[in-house]
Amino acid sequence: MSIIIKDLSKFYNKTPVLDNLSLKIKTGSVFGLLGPNGAGKTTLVSILNHLISKDSGSIEIYGYDFENQKNEIKKISSYIPQTYAFYPNLTSYENLEFFGALYGLKGKNLEKQISYCIQSTALEKFMNKRAFTYSGGVKRRLNIAIGLLNSPKIIYFDEPTVGIDPQSRKYILDVIKNINKTHDTTIIYTSHYMEEVEFLCDEIAVLDKGKILLQDKKDILMKKKSIIEIELQNETLEVDISNSYDIFINIISDLKVKNQTINSIKFPDKSLENIFLSLTKEGLRD
Amino acid sequence: MFKYILKKELLLISRDIHALMVLFIMPAVFILIMSLALKNTYSDNFETKLKVAVISNENIDITNLISDLNKSAYFSAKLISKDSYKSLIYEKNYDFIVEIDKDFKNRINKNDKTFEINSFSSANISKEHFSILKNTIVEIISKTIMKDYFIKSKIDAKVLSVLNEKVTNTYIYKDDIQKAKPSSVQQSVPAWLVFSMFFILIPISNTFINEKNFGTIARIRSINVSLFPILLGKIIPYFIVNQIQVIIMILIGIYIVPLCGGDSLIINGNYLLIFLMSSAISMAAICFALFIANISKTTEEATSIGGVTNIILAALGGIMVPKFVMPQFMQDITLYSPMSWGLEGLLEIFVRGGNFTDIKFYLLYLLLFATISLLLAFILLKKGKN
Repeated sequence: MSIIIKDLSKFYNKTPVLDNLSLKIKTGSVFGLLGPNGAGKTTLVSILNHLISKDSGSIEIYGYDFENQKNEIKKISSYIPQTYAFYPNLTSYENLEFFGALYGLKGKNLEKQISYCIQSTALEKFMNKRAFTYSGGVKRRLNIAIGLLNSPKIIYFDEPTVGIDPQSRKYILDVIKNINKTHDTTIIYTSHYMEEVEFLCDEIAVLDKGKILLQDKKDILMKKKSIIEIELQNETLEVDISNSYDIFINIISDLKVKNQTINSIKFPDKSLENIFLSLTKEGLRD
Repeated sequence: MFKYILKKELLLISRDIHALMVLFIMPAVFILIMSLALKNTYSDNFETKLKVAVISNENIDITNLISDLNKSAYFSAKLISKDSYKSLIYEKNYDFIVEIDKDFKNRINKNDKTFEINSFSSANISKEHFSILKNTIVEIISKTIMKDYFIKSKIDAKVLSVLNEKVTNTYIYKDDIQKAKPSSVQQSVPAWLVFSMFFILIPISNTFINEKNFGTIARIRSINVSLFPILLGKIIPYFIVNQIQVIIMILIGIYIVPLCGGDSLIINGNYLLIFLMSSAISMAAICFALFIANISKTTEEATSIGGVTNIILAALGGIMVPKFVMPQFMQDITLYSPMSWGLEGLLEIFVRGGNFTDIKFYLLYLLLFATISLLLAFILLKKGKN
C-alpha cells in the first residue's frame, strides 16, 4: 500500500471537514477522489502534503510515518495544485530550473530532469516564452511538468484539467496515464469530471461531508453498472449483462415459459455520475 | 539552490517595469524637483528676489531707501505711484507693497510716535519673508539716522557701513574638518532615497502575494525545503536593488541636479558609514514589506496599506518637509518614524560629518524594527499553514 489512512479527522471551527476517514491506496494505482464542493477533497490532499495539520488519526505513506518522517515523504511526493502554481513572469525553463533547484537538483542532473519534464509535457515550443503568454492548456502542462521534477513515487493532482479545451484535457490525461504506466507512480486524482475518473482511475472513492461513502475498484463499480435487477413476486434476480444481453433475454424467456410474474425490471444507471449523484444526493452545494 | 532562488527573484524584479519606475524614476524626479524647489531655503540669497513696490513721493530719503533695499540679497524695490493694491499684487506680481511717508526721516528724528510704515502682500507670502523685509527696512532707516548723527557729532564710525558683513556664521562639523556649505540637495537626496527604499514594498508584496494566491507558496511548502532560504532569497535580491538605488540617487545628486541648475551633492562623511546606514534602512524596508505582504490578501490591499503607511511615515519622518521647519511637537513625533531614523542617520553623515557613534542609535532602531517585522512575517507565514 502506498497510503494508509486511519481515522483521520480535521475540524474547522469545531465543524468536522474530515470525519474519522480511513482509506487505503495501492502502490502504483491511479486513485480517483470524487466529491462535491466542500466534500473535504482539497483538505485531505493538503493534509497529505503537509500543507495543513490534521487533528487526529494516523497516516502512513510508502511505509513512512507521517509525523516523524516528513522529509522522506516530501522527497517522494509531488503536489500539483488546481491553481497555476508557478511564476507567470518567468519562462517554462526558468520556472523548472527554480523548482528543480528547490528539489535539490543541480548541474547536469537538473538540466536532464528539466529536459525530461519539458518532453513529457510537450513544452519545447514554450521553453523560452514567459508563462503569462501561454493558453490555459499550456499553463496546466507547465504546472504538471514542475510536479515531475523530483521523479515522485506519488503525485497528487488537484483538478488539473479545470478550464481547458478538450484537446489539452485529452493530452493531460494521456500524460498522467503514461507517467503511471512507465514509472509505476501512484496517482491521487481529484476531479469533478466523472468521465475523466472513469477513463483514468483504477480505483475510485466518493467523499462527501468528510466521509468516504464508497471505495471500490473501477471494474467492480463498472460491473455494478451492468447488473439488471428483475423483481419477481418472492425474489429479485440480478443479471450481469457486461458481456452480452443474451443471458438477460434467455432468463426472460425462461420466466415466461414458467409463467412467473415479473413485478419490475430495473436497468442499470448509465454512468458513474449517477452513482455519484445517488450517493451524494442531488441537492446544490455551496 | 540558493543561486537559483536569487536568480528567480532578480529576474522577477527586472521584469516588473512598474516597480522599477517606483524604485528609480520616482525618487530621481523627487530629488530633482525638491532640490531645486528648496534651493532658496539653504541659500545665502534668493535666486528670484522678492518684488517690492514702494508707494511714496520721491525725495532723497526715499531714493536712498529703495537703493539700499536693492542692495540686499532678497529684494528688488521700485518707487510706484499710488495704484490699486490688488492690481499691484495680482496683476503686476509684486510680492510686497510698502507704503511710507516721504517725510519719514524727519518724523523719526522728531520722535513722532504716530509714524507708520505699512506693508501689504498676498496671503501666501510667508511670515519669514515679511520678517526679512521688516528687519531690512528697520536696519536701513536706523543706519541712515545713526550715520547722520555720527556726521553731526563728528564721530568716525565707517565700520558701521560694513557691520552687516561683520556678522558671520560658520558651520561646525563633528569631525572638525571644514566642508562645503549645506545645500538643498543634501537634504533631498537622503530624504527621497529613504522614501524610495521603503517603496521596495511594491515589488516584494506583488511577488509574495501572487505566490500565496497562485498556490506557489503551497507548492514550495510541499517540497522538502525550509522557509529560511526562501525568506533569505527574498531579502538579498531586494537588498541589492536598494543598494543600487543608493548609488544611482547619489550620482543623480552629484551629476544631474547641477545640470538642472541646482547645487551639486557634496558628501561630507564616510562612504562606509553610508553603506552601513543604507544597509540598515534596506533591512527595515524589506522586512516591513514582508510583514505587510503577509497581512494582505491581495496585491491591491498590500499596495494600499503599504503605500499609505509609507506616505504617513514619510510625512512624520521629515521626508516631505524638512524636520527643522516643523514645530517642536511635530519634531518630537518624527522620533517614532523608521524613515526619520534613516534620514537622520544619513544626514549625520551627508551634512554633519558624523561618525559611527553619531549613527549607532539610528542603526540600532532600524535593525530592531527590521527584526520585529521579520519575526512577525515569519510567524504569520508559519501560521498560514493552519
